[in-house]
Amino acid sequence: MNYVATIGEREVKVTVEEIGGSNYKVTLDGRDHVVDAHRVANRLWSVLYGVASFEVDVTPVPGDEFEVLINGDCHKFSLMNEQRRAMIRAGGKGAAGKAMVTSPMPGKVVKLLVKEGEEVQAGDGVIVVEAMKMENELKSALAGKVKEIFVKEGEVVESGAKLLLVE
Amino acid sequence: MFEKILIANRGEIAVRVLRACKEMGIPTVAVFSEVDRRALHTRYADEAYCIGPPPARESYLVIDKIIGVAKASGAQAIHPGYGFLAENPLFADRCEREKIKLIGPSAYAMRTMGSKTLARKTVRAAGVPVVPGTVDPIASEEEVFRVAKEIGFPVMLKATAGGGGKGLRLVREEAELRSSLRMAKSEAKSAFSDDSVYIEKYIENPRHVEIQILGDQHGNYVHLCERECSIQRRHQKVIEESPSVIITPEIRAAMGKVAIEAARAVKYEGAGTCEFLVDRKRNFYFLEMNTRLQVEHPVTEMVTGVDIVKEQIRVAAGEPLGIRQEDVKQTGHAIECRVYAEDPEKNFIPCPGTVTSLRIPGGPGVRDDSGMYTGFEIPIYYDPIISKLVAWGRDRTEAIARMKRALAEYVVTGVKTTIPFHIRVMNNRHFIAGDFDTNFIDKVFFKEEETRELRNEEVALVTAAIQVYAEERNRAVAQRPGEAAGPVSMWKYSTRPGIRKIG
Repeated sequence: MNYVATIGEREVKVTVEEIGGSNYKVTLDGRDHVVDAHRVANRLWSVLYGVASFEVDVTPVPGDEFEVLINGDCHKFSLMNEQRRAMIRAGGKGAAGKAMVTSPMPGKVVKLLVKEGEEVQAGDGVIVVEAMKMENELKSALAGKVKEIFVKEGEVVESGAKLLLVE
Repeated sequence: MFEKILIANRGEIAVRVLRACKEMGIPTVAVFSEVDRRALHTRYADEAYCIGPPPARESYLVIDKIIGVAKASGAQAIHPGYGFLAENPLFADRCEREKIKLIGPSAYAMRTMGSKTLARKTVRAAGVPVVPGTVDPIASEEEVFRVAKEIGFPVMLKATAGGGGKGLRLVREEAELRSSLRMAKSEAKSAFSDDSVYIEKYIENPRHVEIQILGDQHGNYVHLCERECSIQRRHQKVIEESPSVIITPEIRAAMGKVAIEAARAVKYEGAGTCEFLVDRKRNFYFLEMNTRLQVEHPVTEMVTGVDIVKEQIRVAAGEPLGIRQEDVKQTGHAIECRVYAEDPEKNFIPCPGTVTSLRIPGGPGVRDDSGMYTGFEIPIYYDPIISKLVAWGRDRTEAIARMKRALAEYVVTGVKTTIPFHIRVMNNRHFIAGDFDTNFIDKVFFKEEETRELRNEEVALVTAAIQVYAEERNRAVAQRPGEAAGPVSMWKYSTRPGIRKIG
């Protein structure tokens, strides 16, 4: 299977082929490697890269993004198979002009700093969400009008919950 | 000795206190909120009582409920841990009235030291050096402006009832003063139900060094040397160590003496900590006294061999201190990393959730004080600290090396933690050289991090690709007729040939 990883501006092609046991033949930018990868817990892998042994924590983030942790280093990139990438490209989504503010963590809405219809600037604090005794002010990614507010003060929200929409 | 002790706390610190009680053979009582039924402290204690809904205000902070459980269970003493009711003089008063021994100082000592302004007044009178600023809470906005100009910017606004970095605002210039005051007051109000704040001169680039003291009911005091707590993020300690690289035997003795004077001034009983700011010229100024057990007490235990929690319990029972000053020695070096359920890649936002897998480090010189286990759901309602990892070595170099390898062994999945952050600090050349102050993390470390090159990128890409591959394949298998779709068991991930064929 062919995958494309995007790291910043850089693109890397990765091909994965199962060759028996827990071994994979992996091609990275045209170079072949044999990798022995064991899933030892939900998102935790024990990887023998040649004979070099690594523990790798792979966390998928919505939007085909990944955060991969190896001994304190967090690698962030997007990765998807070639077909999926082609499909997304063909879809040509352009969501410019709209920004959904979502909760980055489970918590409680402490305060709404704006009302529907209010004008905001990019970087303006729009809502305060509290988790674990810390108040976190979330900001609007762009300038515009507050189109809709989906939550009330005091409401408990999940991670990723839609809070409000700026247009 | 007490026949039963109630622990009025939760999480890792409740577990820590339970451990001391168990080793002393004292039966224990835990209290838990509705979300903490499965928490480790509930499971470790001999008895456990539910005290209400998850918000601390409706459970762990309700004095009536704690006292009710103490009476119902027949506990003779209450250990408050830190946070919650630990420094609440109303709670201390109530315990006194109910004839239940609170393991800690008197309500009077708490009141005096808990009001930072009164504390400054009291210790200054006892000859302890303090930072310039107001001695009383600020009465009006006008006063803030007047005092700030008098002592000169930058200034620090601090909640009178504060602690833990809450209700704290640094103000660099007059223009920021009004809004900072408003924020400090509002944070203080929500964190401590008391919006009074005071103002202090801000010492540029200080180090934060504190002295652990112990006192008994017979007027004996010892200090257990210093802890270096300058590695802070947003004014909150994240890494502590003992000894401090900047403290000489002479300064240690001087600080220890002054800390004992501060304690004596309020007839302090039990374990307490005097925090000091130390400037570039190694002048030290009393910052505040914490009238409780500290989060970072294990580093002191590791270098002195004193079990501080057991000493607290013994002196609360009226016994004299089990240690004399001349017996106190720092042996080797200890470092503590506070592991928080926070995402270091997203500006340390809290990251509650379920711990899906856990591997606790072990081996020589390593101690893990934690309150979590595989399957534990870290609640959104409380402090995000989930563990304290402590490493001891013969010297600082060995302690750092041990901490590094222990952090690398530590695996927590399901929630983001600050473990990767700690690994990077342990590798930072300034940290290794002992060259840092309280602004190091926010001002120097994060800047250096931005340009740091990541290692093992290939392995990261390849493993992510293999995971995506494995999941796509599992989905394909699950969608085949005859096979039930649904949660994929761990067995399915195993790819031993002969057990299952790939379609």
